[in-house]
Amino acid sequence: MSMVMQSGEALVDSAPRFPRKRKGISGRSIAILVFLSICAAFFMVPLYVIITTSFKTMEQIREGAIFSLPSPITIEPWINAWDNACSGIRCEGLKVGFWNSVAILLPSLALSMILSSVTGYALALWNVRWAGTFLFVLFICAFVPFQIIMIPLIILSSGLKVYGTIWGIAIIHAVLSMPFLTLVFRNYYKGIPQEIMSAAMMDSGSFWRIFGEIIVPMSGNIFIVVLILQVTSIWNDFLLGLTFGGLGTQPMSVVLANVVITTTGEAAYNENMAAALLTAIPPLVIYFVLGKFFVQGITAGAIKG
Amino acid sequence: MHMKSLATMAATLLLSAAPLAATAEELIVYHGWSSKAEVAALNILQGALNEKGHTWKDLAIPHNSGVNVSIVNMVTGGDPPNAFVTSDPHIFRDLAGLGLQRDLTDYYKEIGAADGFFPIVSELSTVDGKMVKVPLFLHIDGMVYWNMDVAKKAGVDPTAWKSVDEMIADFPKIKAAGFVPAAVGGQAFQVGYLFHAMVAAIAGPDIYNRIYSETPDPTAFDTPEVRKAIEVVRAFSNEATPEAENRPWNETTNTVIAGQALFHIMGDWMKGEWLAAGKVPGVDFGCQVIPGALAVPVTSDAMGILGGQSAEKDKAELDLVAAFVDPIVSAKANQQKGSTSPRADAPTEFRDACNQVAMDAMNKPNGAVKNPFNVITGDWNNGIWTAMYNFWSDKSLTTDDAVAELKDAYDLTFN
Repeated sequence: MSMVMQSGEALVDSAPRFPRKRKGISGRSIAILVFLSICAAFFMVPLYVIITTSFKTMEQIREGAIFSLPSPITIEPWINAWDNACSGIRCEGLKVGFWNSVAILLPSLALSMILSSVTGYALALWNVRWAGTFLFVLFICAFVPFQIIMIPLIILSSGLKVYGTIWGIAIIHAVLSMPFLTLVFRNYYKGIPQEIMSAAMMDSGSFWRIFGEIIVPMSGNIFIVVLILQVTSIWNDFLLGLTFGGLGTQPMSVVLANVVITTTGEAAYNENMAAALLTAIPPLVIYFVLGKFFVQGITAGAIKG
Repeated sequence: MHMKSLATMAATLLLSAAPLAATAEELIVYHGWSSKAEVAALNILQGALNEKGHTWKDLAIPHNSGVNVSIVNMVTGGDPPNAFVTSDPHIFRDLAGLGLQRDLTDYYKEIGAADGFFPIVSELSTVDGKMVKVPLFLHIDGMVYWNMDVAKKAGVDPTAWKSVDEMIADFPKIKAAGFVPAAVGGQAFQVGYLFHAMVAAIAGPDIYNRIYSETPDPTAFDTPEVRKAIEVVRAFSNEATPEAENRPWNETTNTVIAGQALFHIMGDWMKGEWLAAGKVPGVDFGCQVIPGALAVPVTSDAMGILGGQSAEKDKAELDLVAAFVDPIVSAKANQQKGSTSPRADAPTEFRDACNQVAMDAMNKPNGAVKNPFNVITGDWNNGIWTAMYNFWSDKSLTTDDAVAELKDAYDLTFN
């Protein structure tokens, strides 16, 4: 025991050093690298297949080697997917769905963000009667699956004369995303010091004026977070667009499904892959452009907390 | 006085406008077809509808995308389709429950179509004694399509096979020549289709109808014919190469088109893949029913039309039916889709070598049976598929095990 102590002490012959991160390769860093590569491969291998297949000709695809590189390279599948793939009897490509999706996205985004930010603001910073109960009910609603209220919603929207229109889809998107988004906004606004509110009220600010002139300018980050969440979910939505879109307002996801899914028809894999990639691009662009703010927005609330 | 004359004028206007409106209607057509061949066929149908003076409003939602309730949704929302593609008798019964079913029995007699359909088509189009479906495209579920080039190289002649046994007896010879004899795809759907096609081919219509029935008879599984069909499924599963695992039917067909395998047994919708690859029936590829088949299972892609509409819509819907089942329109549309016209009296110039094989099979007395989806519930169908797919995947299971599993599936579904 004392021997060990002594030998241990003997090693310390200079001033104590803080352990430094060593550069170079160690067993641990190799393990981490291997683990990360495997994780990345889970996503990259299918992505590789999708991208290479979209540039192949059908002749090459029929040979069945899915990992081979395209030769010759062709961009025809991309042009076909965008311009003249058939969704039903209309063969005008995904572009029809793209513009429908944009038309659905903008009002849905505006409605859902306005509705939930105002509700969140009221619940967080004003003394609303039954606020706790209301919040609890909203919380419960966040867990109700859409499928079980689908038929009642159809009847409701049909009664409001918006069934089968873009506004119908927008309203449904806004209502269904409200519970979750309201909780997000409410938690963010809870972090705003009550003193700011008191000062604003003393300066005779009304509910809307405080919201417009003080709260909104302070909530850029959280708006970006909600924007990214909503763009992704609205753009990728299939069932809502299908159920409430009706005729002529089918979003890109539904058009994509028409182009890609076939049971007894022939399948053009190169076009299908190009179509899938085209549909995935818009949310990716939003994420890459605004991704920096996304992280800031999430942590901003925590720091203030 | 002033008001009154206005009202009279309005009424006159309305009355005079009414007959005009009756001539041109916009009909919503709901379907799930978007591949090139399918759209070409739809264009023929649309043209025929336009000639009757009506317009086609298209609503495409892909088949099997988990939204099979859409018709009922649209009826609920008040924006229902006038014509919708489905063969499921249960949807027609749901609509009957809502008072929206449309019985076409008398109308088919009136336009002289009733006798023009193949007998199996009339059967397939009938739900609870009423002809409610508009048959559009016919497929045979189990056809043999082979690569003629491979057949020549391997030195076998698929047309010479008189029974499934003779077909299987040629397997070693084909393998020795370096080809896969039978292309197979290891998916529950493909195994299920192979099984029901083999039951129809080997066991014949009577036993087939005892199994694929709303009230099945589980003792049918004990018959030597069904046991034989199970053994044939085993012989095919032994041909499965590792990459056949979970391979979709179209990729499986492509191994035949690419010359790696000799033949594929699948629904004759695989013709679409051959045609898309630029191959010609009777020249590059041959087609035959399963050798020695007692019966062939027939799939009829059909539409229903919605009842309970305004008088103008009702009339326009009947015009649509007349346009779609017209022998020439039907023959042309089927030529585009690669299927066979439901009209036995369709003109001959619109068919190819493979259509002829299909028509001969359907003209054989008592030689056609109904595709299971036209008859049985999804539960019973899944039960059979699961049992047969387990058998397919686990080579240690015997024919007795398969029979026992099929009976278990019956007990689970019906007891």
